[in-house]
Amino acid sequence: MTKRPFTVSRRMVLAGGAAMAATAVSTRPAFAAPSSGNKLAVIILRGALDGLAAVPPSIDQLADWRPNVMPENPLRLTSSFALHPALGGLHGLYTGGEASIVHAVASPYRGRSHFVGQDLLESGSTGDVLRDGWLNRALQSAPTPLSAVSIGPATPLVLRGPAEVGTWSPPVLPEASGDTLARLGDLYADDPMLGSALAQAVELDAAASDMTSMGRTARGDEAGAALPALARLMAAENGPDIGVASVGGWDSHAGQIGQLNNALSRLDAALLAMKDEFGAAWARTQVAVVTEFGRTVKENGTRGTDHGTGGAAFLLGGAVAGGQILGDWPGLAERDLFEGRDLAPANDLRAIFMAMLGQQFGFSRSELTRTVFPGANGVLPLTI
Amino acid sequence: MSTTQGAIAATRFGLGARPGEIAAATSDPRGWLLDQLKRTAAVSLAQQPLPTGQEGAAKVVEYTQLVRQQRQSGDPDAQMELQRALRSARRDGFGRELIARAALAERTDASFNERWVRFWSNHFTVAITQPLILPLVGPYEREAIRQNAFGSFRDLLQATSFHQTMLVYLDNIRSFGPSTRIAQRRGVGLNENLAREILELHTLGVDGGYTQQDVTEFAKALTGWTIKSPPLANSDIGAVTFEPRLHEPGARTVLGQRVSEGADQASAVLDMAAAHPSTATHIATKLARHFVADMPPQSAITTLSRAFRDTGGDLTELAKAVINLDAAWGEEQVKFKSPDELLVSTARMVGSTNVFGGGQARDVYTSFGQVPFYAPSPQGWPDTASEWAGPDAIMKRLEWANLVAQRTPSDIAAGQFLDEGLGPLVSADTRQAVARAESAIQGLTLALMSPEFQRR
Repeated sequence: MTKRPFTVSRRMVLAGGAAMAATAVSTRPAFAAPSSGNKLAVIILRGALDGLAAVPPSIDQLADWRPNVMPENPLRLTSSFALHPALGGLHGLYTGGEASIVHAVASPYRGRSHFVGQDLLESGSTGDVLRDGWLNRALQSAPTPLSAVSIGPATPLVLRGPAEVGTWSPPVLPEASGDTLARLGDLYADDPMLGSALAQAVELDAAASDMTSMGRTARGDEAGAALPALARLMAAENGPDIGVASVGGWDSHAGQIGQLNNALSRLDAALLAMKDEFGAAWARTQVAVVTEFGRTVKENGTRGTDHGTGGAAFLLGGAVAGGQILGDWPGLAERDLFEGRDLAPANDLRAIFMAMLGQQFGFSRSELTRTVFPGANGVLPLTI
Repeated sequence: MSTTQGAIAATRFGLGARPGEIAAATSDPRGWLLDQLKRTAAVSLAQQPLPTGQEGAAKVVEYTQLVRQQRQSGDPDAQMELQRALRSARRDGFGRELIARAALAERTDASFNERWVRFWSNHFTVAITQPLILPLVGPYEREAIRQNAFGSFRDLLQATSFHQTMLVYLDNIRSFGPSTRIAQRRGVGLNENLAREILELHTLGVDGGYTQQDVTEFAKALTGWTIKSPPLANSDIGAVTFEPRLHEPGARTVLGQRVSEGADQASAVLDMAAAHPSTATHIATKLARHFVADMPPQSAITTLSRAFRDTGGDLTELAKAVINLDAAWGEEQVKFKSPDELLVSTARMVGSTNVFGGGQARDVYTSFGQVPFYAPSPQGWPDTASEWAGPDAIMKRLEWANLVAQRTPSDIAAGQFLDEGLGPLVSADTRQAVARAESAIQGLTLALMSPEFQRR
């Protein structure tokens, strides 16, 4: 990481040449679009966050279902709901009007496979998993051109598809010379997949040029590594309008008290760091923190919870009308549960995503239901 | 027969050509691969002094007890010291395991067999999600996967499901029959993780036609399968055992069939799952994706699925069906190498020292996002280009290729690398770019990064 300032500036010079290579394979440079300045980020918590631990309801007797996995001293939100004690930062944002909660929320998926659940959340479909993601379809049908980036070596499904997107992660190894880079660009001229990937990598590296502080987070702190980096990339001049990052480690089948204390603390710190990194852009930012589904209302036999249905989502940012618990609450009485075991999915994740695309980038409802979320005609966007 | 078939045998079906291999495979590419199936013992790591699953599990049990005792005695220094010793012991064993495994992949002359093993190891993924699992992943691959990858699918499924590592990884050692006395006294109960993943990932597949009820009942059948440890057992520590005191009693119905009570109950469910028609389709689809294309044609899936069913899941016969699958011999290279495939195929050409440098293996794997035995979920590593060929991944590969080229000063010239590693697969453009490179290092960097070497 020490050699960043030198090699990166070399790459920044190169970015122009690589952009030309990108044009040669009929793409437009990822960051060339005029930007409204509004930002939209989606953070996917992979493994199914236990929404009832993150946002414990106080109107129902949750402890009757799960006496051994109750977080102690939750932070009060309203007379009906509280936040997990490790989410102090989020609590501050909520009370300051910069964060809201959507509870009992789910994608249209009603099974309990992590992998299909995530695929459906990301592809934005109602039944069969589509081959492209809803954010990629949004890029294709945006009223004004938008650009997007994800953190990590692989493109997540939510951004996959015909529209070009960037990916970025902190460099680990020393870099190749600019000349080698240019020659490789030539060699990839007839290879659309590799050619456009390389061209975008060069541009993104330039955009991330001052990220010398990245990668200093604790080993294994995925949230701490990814979220502030995403915010810094997006906040850069001509930075992408849309960003995606993923954080794993939520599949709390056993010993969930300790697991969630750690994971939520790191997430909380990373969300606050995100706000810092966004800086002035925070005022025009909406961030959704979502997960593929919730977990069983009843604890299992190993001080944990198994795969469920309704979960919780966090919305934050200066462009969020915060301090609200949005949507409906289905209750925790036995008759209210989904299939007798899960928090019922009273709210739809797509209502959040549709609201964000509408409020931040001016997508019309008809455009959203036609291309971005086919089959979502009955879903009413929230006001967030 | 076209001239590229020998190169395809070595690079697409094998783990990448070693010098001389393409020439050796060219006269009879399919025969060259089928001949490897007569030498399946080549996948064994038995000549290495590596621990068994039981030894690994016994160590874990012993460590856990020592830590508990130290904690009770309350001496913080002794506790730290012990933790440190445990960590280094675990790391050491794991390191030797990775080296032995990498050396085999680098040098084997039966690399189709090794690819086959790795396919199944990924299908039945275990991953280091907690320190306890670290000393167990190597024994798992050697004992459950390598020993059964050429036998029957049924045996492979039984071996993986009842191995110490899988029982730990998917929480079965912590799943208790809810009505058992132990569960009631300790306030513990069922954990359905293993049952769900066996049905969803290892056998029928997510749309294979099972229900939540099947998962729950199967989970109950699996209760009792655990690792021998005090206080329930005092001998044979670390062995896998069926402990009736933890098992949820009773006959039950799973996948529409009645299974009677007893120690064989879970095993009977596994046999039903292995024989289920959805399992044949699920396995065939993954194999076709691995050997034909990310989105394989239905005809290829049907052929392999039929081979699976007709042979009762005989994996050597299934391997032959893969080798004899015409669709897998397409001229165009459409499979983008995963990071692990790229690293192994490079090591087979330039040697692992040049691939990783001194002690940097972990950094390389980390920057590529594919550290062995750290798959992100029980689903294992992805097998499609869309997961591996993002902009950032390409840049990381380039940074690495540049380092490899710097470390390989005169061992192999770029032109020779192309001839021996890719042979007739090399395009005129690549040959020209490499020939015109400004230096030998740049030439080899471009050869490593060429579209032909990045794919298989």
